[in-house]
Amino acid sequence: MVRELPKTDVVIVGAGWTGLAAAKELADAGQRCVVIERGDWRHDASNFGAPEEHDELKYARRKEHMIDTQTKTLSFRNSSDQTALPMRRLGSFLPGKGLGGAGIHWNGQLWRPLPSDLKMRSHYADRYGEAILDGLNVQDWGVTYDELEPHLDFFDRVCGTAGVAGNLNGETKEGGNPFEGPRSADYPNPPMKASPPLQLFQKTAQEMGYHPFQMPSANVTKAYENAYGAQLHPCTYCGFCERFGCGYYAKADPIICIYDVVKDHENFELRMNSQVLRVEKSADGKTATGVTYLDERGQEVFQPADTVCLNAYALWNVHLMLVSGLGKPYDPETGEGTVGRNYAYQTLAAAGVFFDKEVWSNPFMGAGALGMTIDDFNGDNFDHTDLGFVGGGYISANQTNGRPINYHPTPPDTPSWGPEWKKAVRENYLHHVGIVCHGSSVAVPGNYLDLDPTYKDAYGQPLLRMTFDFPENDRRMSAYVLSKAEEIARNMDNVRAVSTVNRAAEGESYSVVPYQTTHNTGGAVIGTDPTTSVVNRYGQMWDHHNVFVFGACLFPQNLGYNPTGPLMGLAYWTLDHMKNDYLQNPRPLMDA
Amino acid sequence: MPNFSRRAVLLQIGASGLAAVTPGAALAQNRYAALDTQPWSYLDGSEARFLASMADVLIPEDDFPSASQAGVVDFIDLQLAGPYGQGAGLFLEGPFADGTPEQGWQTAHTPASLIRNGIARLEDGGTRLVDLDANDRSAFVERLSKGEGFDLGDVPVQTLFDEIWALVKEGYFSDPIYGGNKDYAGWEMIGFPGAHAYYTDHVDKNAPFPAPPKGIAHVPGTGRSADTARPLRAQTAREEG
Ligand SMILES: Cc1cc2nc3c(=O)[nH]c(=O)nc-3n(C[C@H](O)[C@H](O)[C@H](O)COP(=O)(O)OP(=O)(O)OC[C@H]3O[C@@H](n4cnc5c(N)ncnc54)[C@H](O)[C@@H]3O)c2cc1C
Ligand code: SF4
Repeated sequence: MVRELPKTDVVIVGAGWTGLAAAKELADAGQRCVVIERGDWRHDASNFGAPEEHDELKYARRKEHMIDTQTKTLSFRNSSDQTALPMRRLGSFLPGKGLGGAGIHWNGQLWRPLPSDLKMRSHYADRYGEAILDGLNVQDWGVTYDELEPHLDFFDRVCGTAGVAGNLNGETKEGGNPFEGPRSADYPNPPMKASPPLQLFQKTAQEMGYHPFQMPSANVTKAYENAYGAQLHPCTYCGFCERFGCGYYAKADPIICIYDVVKDHENFELRMNSQVLRVEKSADGKTATGVTYLDERGQEVFQPADTVCLNAYALWNVHLMLVSGLGKPYDPETGEGTVGRNYAYQTLAAAGVFFDKEVWSNPFMGAGALGMTIDDFNGDNFDHTDLGFVGGGYISANQTNGRPINYHPTPPDTPSWGPEWKKAVRENYLHHVGIVCHGSSVAVPGNYLDLDPTYKDAYGQPLLRMTFDFPENDRRMSAYVLSKAEEIARNMDNVRAVSTVNRAAEGESYSVVPYQTTHNTGGAVIGTDPTTSVVNRYGQMWDHHNVFVFGACLFPQNLGYNPTGPLMGLAYWTLDHMKNDYLQNPRPLMDA
Repeated sequence: MPNFSRRAVLLQIGASGLAAVTPGAALAQNRYAALDTQPWSYLDGSEARFLASMADVLIPEDDFPSASQAGVVDFIDLQLAGPYGQGAGLFLEGPFADGTPEQGWQTAHTPASLIRNGIARLEDGGTRLVDLDANDRSAFVERLSKGEGFDLGDVPVQTLFDEIWALVKEGYFSDPIYGGNKDYAGWEMIGFPGAHAYYTDHVDKNAPFPAPPKGIAHVPGTGRSADTARPLRAQTAREEG
């Protein structure tokens, strides 16, 4: 028997960045919110303290903060002529679970999209002609930079972002990113300290005519009271950042930045260890009536609600839509349908820089967002004429993850084990930095998400099936951006050797094994045309007007940036329209 | 090179004075003999000797300890006995198919059963790895790393090698609370100061940070971590002559 609970105003699936932001904003607007989260309750104060949290085996290798593939995974193949098999072990990406979601173990690299990124199709078509987009499902987002700016700015104030503005109200500022869209206000906090390799990268990039700046960081640099009145403290550069929770209250996360200021709100209720199985629909299929979930005792419960918010992370939002029959599934044969369409990822490459003994990188001193970056080869910040690709990526010397089990840089041609390997690890550990090329990812018709015909999860539901390989466009992009990174690396002082790795190298297929990024995007994209988007420009489903969708599943194609800044800008934009329009008069906010 | 294997064994023994007076062949038989008396949690003595031999090819002794000297076999034993070895974090529902390398782990084995069955099949019939001379042990590991020339039934060779090599590195470099990285051997080697981490004043300085390592369970004033992994075990796996 399914137990039915009293109706609530809003039910929110997932207690990560987007779910808790939705709860806070809607609770303040007088809506009774029930947040349903499948993982455990936890808190920075009680769960993430050093030194116990500084356990690389437990958190970075065994991944105790992340999803457990036994209860949640997907199946994967490179192309639709293969048989998808389950991702049996975590690898390429590490979705979160529990209070705060992946937001507790993110790096905190906090970006904004470029104005041109948000109108990618029309921008490229105008500048280069339509042909440059042949074969690509590249689309406009349907929402502009100017519309998102106040919300991007607000999220900077939730996180206490540290950085140097490059464009303040249209005025170019020294030391910042000159390519960024105009900011209405400066960063709330000054940039992080630059380690010696970052200083060298900055000097060389400058000499080569590029525009280096310190990466925008949600590893806070000063004591800071955020927009909700929560208190953050300065980062200690402890080096146990991404994959770990921060016990210093220094990494902006959804628990200390939002949960703490909404937890006692009369309109807020949180149900932990509860797995939402599906969204239920009304008889006519036009609206959702609530969600069915398994409570902490494993009993099936129906929570009716006037409004449903999907905040379960990009991949699992799409999964919930598919198992609930929300929207129309994408069919790669006909190109029709939208749910699962335009799945994209992040295209990563890197140059490794091996210094002589004069340069001490001390890689264990680091922070998730400690980086010196150039944006000269991102988006359309450079001329794409005759390059054969669209998009780009930022190039950044990052000092983020120099922990002893995972970080063993060795110069090219070193054997991969044995005496020479051991010697090389010893000699290079303290004298190396990685320069990352963090590249965009276009959408193409053959990359998509649907349901697996064979494999089922612990709840008897079909696994989400991912079909993905790096499109030719992105292989060319990645090779190009990597060649620029390599040039910088070779021009740096005190460099003995340079190595390179390119995940999207010609002839190599995308693999779910090595970690790349937890930046899965698309599958339920935003737009103004219901035949190519799942939600309208307000994040509202075209087919079910009381379902609102949050997260990187909204991205029509992936940016050359990390997703959380952009997706939180979208979240606050959607919440703004819910609070100030939809909830007073529930209806489709755009005509289909 | 008639003397090669003996020389290799002597090199393998490193600083141990006994090596000079004991014939190489006898040494080989006794190599890792101490492992026999260990109260293993998962491994048996012959599996432990196989893993010690292989681990010491992957991370041999030089100015710094070999893998087995740093407690890597203890570490692996405890890991295989624990949740990771027993398949926590692995989705093991069928049907099973070989898949492509890009699809990752596709065997029905848990890490513990993968390694148990893998070793059993590798050691079936021929000379045991522990009894080979250093040169042949290296050659064996080289072949295993490339997956060349082995048929291990339902144990995928590449997966087996990758799993053991990952465990060896984890055992050499993880916090000593898990039984490896004994006396901070791995951390001393690379200059990693450990879990107690506060670097605000140093991060922008181009200078070494000469702090002795401190693990999660560091015992103040000793240069060691408390042996929280298995208090009963006094000795780690060590090559003996
Ligand atoms: C190691 C790592 C580093 C990262 N670094 C960066 C970075 O530097 N910069 C950046 O921009 N981004 C980064 N990210 C990505 C960032 O964490 C995500 O973009 C962000 O957390 C997304 O927020 P979300 O609310 O959409 O989803 P999540 O934070 O994933 O939250 C979703 C929540 O929903 C819950 N849930 C899912 N399904 C169900 C269900 N059926 N029932 C109930 N609950 C459910 C999950 O348990 C989870 O808690 C990183 C991610 C990882 C893993
Ligand atoms: S590096 Fe800074 S922000 Fe990251 S976990 Fe350590 S103290 Fe927190």
